[in-house]
Amino acid sequence: MSEDQLQTNPYRKINSTSAYRRLMMAYYFMVKHPSWFGKKVAWITSGGPVEPLYAMGVLPFYPENYGAMCGASRMSVSLCEAAEQKGYSHDLCSYALTDIGSFFTGKGPIGRLPKPDFLVCGNNICGTVIKWYEIQARALRAPLFFIDTPFFHDELHQHNLQYVEKQMGEYIAFLEDQTKRPFLEKRFKKVGSRSLEAISLWREILDLSRNQPAPFAAFDAFIHMAPIVTLRGTRWAVRYYQKLKRELEERVKKGLGAFAREEIRLVWDNIPIWYDIRNLSKLLSSNGAVLVADTYTSAWAMEEPDLTFSLDGLSRAYATIHLNRGLGYKMQKMAKLIEKFGAHGFLMHSNRSCKPYSLGQYDMRREVTRLTGKPGLIIEADHTDSRSYSPQQVEKQILIFLDIIRNKQQGST
Amino acid sequence: MSEENSISRIKKEFEELTSLEYREIASHLPGDRIPIGFFCPYVPEEMLHAAGAFPIRLMGAPIKMSHVQAHLPPNCCYLVKSSLESLLRGELDFLKGMIFSHTCDTMQGLSDIWAFQKRLTLQFNLMMPAYLNSEASRPYWKAEIERFREFLETNIGEVTPQNLTTAIQLFNRIRKNIREIYQLRRTLHEEITGADFANIIRAQYLMDRNQYQFLLSELLDLLSCQKKKEGRLVPIYLAGNMVHSAPYFALIEEAGATVVSDNLCSGARFLRLITREDIDPIEALTQRYFSSFLCPTKHGGSNDPIETLLREVEETGATGVVFLFYKYCESHYFDYPDLKRALEAKSIPTLLLEVDDPATSQGQLKIRIQAFIEMLSPI
Ligand code: SF4
Ligand code: SF4
Repeated sequence: MSEDQLQTNPYRKINSTSAYRRLMMAYYFMVKHPSWFGKKVAWITSGGPVEPLYAMGVLPFYPENYGAMCGASRMSVSLCEAAEQKGYSHDLCSYALTDIGSFFTGKGPIGRLPKPDFLVCGNNICGTVIKWYEIQARALRAPLFFIDTPFFHDELHQHNLQYVEKQMGEYIAFLEDQTKRPFLEKRFKKVGSRSLEAISLWREILDLSRNQPAPFAAFDAFIHMAPIVTLRGTRWAVRYYQKLKRELEERVKKGLGAFAREEIRLVWDNIPIWYDIRNLSKLLSSNGAVLVADTYTSAWAMEEPDLTFSLDGLSRAYATIHLNRGLGYKMQKMAKLIEKFGAHGFLMHSNRSCKPYSLGQYDMRREVTRLTGKPGLIIEADHTDSRSYSPQQVEKQILIFLDIIRNKQQGST
Repeated sequence: MSEENSISRIKKEFEELTSLEYREIASHLPGDRIPIGFFCPYVPEEMLHAAGAFPIRLMGAPIKMSHVQAHLPPNCCYLVKSSLESLLRGELDFLKGMIFSHTCDTMQGLSDIWAFQKRLTLQFNLMMPAYLNSEASRPYWKAEIERFREFLETNIGEVTPQNLTTAIQLFNRIRKNIREIYQLRRTLHEEITGADFANIIRAQYLMDRNQYQFLLSELLDLLSCQKKKEGRLVPIYLAGNMVHSAPYFALIEEAGATVVSDNLCSGARFLRLITREDIDPIEALTQRYFSSFLCPTKHGGSNDPIETLLREVEETGATGVVFLFYKYCESHYFDYPDLKRALEAKSIPTLLLEVDDPATSQGQLKIRIQAFIEMLSPI
């Protein structure tokens, strides 16, 4: 792809990005030096209930988010290899391998990871985290709290919810014990309402891309999602998303898209290919294609968050997240995104690292096409480990796929 | 007929049954029961039996993969890939339904893909909790077993307390008898080779359980009359996800070792699922999973996987541990490095064997097993 081609479709930089960088730097500074701020640190899975932590003055650290950072900065391969040298299989989730490798070597974008006072693991995203957190709890000699949220293939049953609710109660007791502080309902509600505010803002931001042209590409969302994951429940996240939203609303008013040219609108499924985001974005945009929505970042824009933010509401919200639901739901969600965002097709990343996201994608592609009439393409990769990725082949597949869409568009005009 | 001939006759019966392909199994099944498939012992077979179903455990069959690639990425374990292939080829059409239980991410994905094919009339997901130490786990699991009972009653037949108790007694007897045979093997490994034992395990899922139990008792009687020989085989503990497959046991024995215990979910772990007969049957089925049936997809504490394995290996007197894993099984591979380290710190050598398609990998395994056993043998 020549630079000339890229020039034909310039990317509009988001001004809030510098505020985003400052925010994340401040966050990482705090988790690296918690004692300076009188805080404890907990490692937590990306789907874990973070609000009780903030309510108890504990800083969350997300190894998965850190894994994404390692992937984007192309440090994952050497970290995965370090884990593999210790006997971990190459076939395990590369977020886990990256984290384990980083633990062994002390290497990574922020150097040695902050030692947690305890770990919190929720299996609402996958079963991988059970094993991963057991390993790290043993290695770090830190207590582990585990929240079990049974997957729901079709219906959500009452006893299932009660089970999660009871465990939320145990979680609170665990936190009281670890922090030697009482759990204050008032504080929790405050954190909860901030969390909801951030979630609503995030949803509104993502929804802005229903406009044509889309002011905020999914590739932007992949970057700017970090605060909704790590800082959900804080004022920082709310303030940041207010700012970002204002900027994007301005774009909509002026009819400006994330890219100057937007001819093909696509939806993305699965975790990004972190080490190749820039190239993929360039490849698509130089061909007039923009990712306008995705199933990954929208997972943090919960559809029916409980407005009262009680422990029951929290249980329901965490038991029903995207990855904890069956294939039927995922197919419907994808079809809805395509319709809602006026997409012409969809790209699915078959991610060898993440089975909950990737199993079922082949059937899903056929079904979503049947439901929407829009074509889909599956590309094989891994979210952080580039060793099994073949960029030339993916590039070729994407170009052919875009041609198919273009031909379809021409045929229908 | 001599005792030896009778033993051979029973073993042959089991062997013939286990060598059948899925397609052929249908004609051997008892006609008065509804065939229902399942994968893992978290599904209480007793309940299926009590409802009038015939529970068939799918343990992976040798099959050429040609359909499954359109539904699953390649990095799934052989059990999952081959079972879906069998379904897609119509080889499982004789099943009226399938019961999935919650274990690993791959199985979870398989369940959804399986349902989406709409080839079998019935499907149920029994959601075993992943956390076993919460106060809340037991009531949840009991409610889930109740939900399973309701499903069976709607779709198969009534599960009366009487039927369930009778089923529990039958399955307890089966497990106890297999355990005894497992014990006897230590001194009778010529009469019951590892391969024979694997056939015994697999055959239970393919024949009328009363008939199976009858044959087991007969076999036990015959074996107890045999002269015990002090074994000179190296005692090995087998760890892993691989369900019983005769060729692996044969390879280990040919190399001069014998499997004295294991933690396979088709082996010692499942044999511990003895159910109390003196309390409410649903309560008894609930309880049994909390005592000694931990598998790596469940969480019972961060150190539990290591402590349990060390204890079991020590108790059985095994001098080496063979890890036999299906490739791509995350749950087991995550545990492996720490387990290996912990065993080797206690001077127990380990060998890791990775298997994808069992039909193709035996040649390479043989040499590695032989070298390992040689290392463990007294000089
Ligand atoms: S398996 Fe998937 S959901 Fe689980 S930690 Fe890895 S990437 Fe995340
Ligand atoms: S072998 Fe492993 S990956 Fe396969 S079904 Fe069993 S636990 Fe899951």
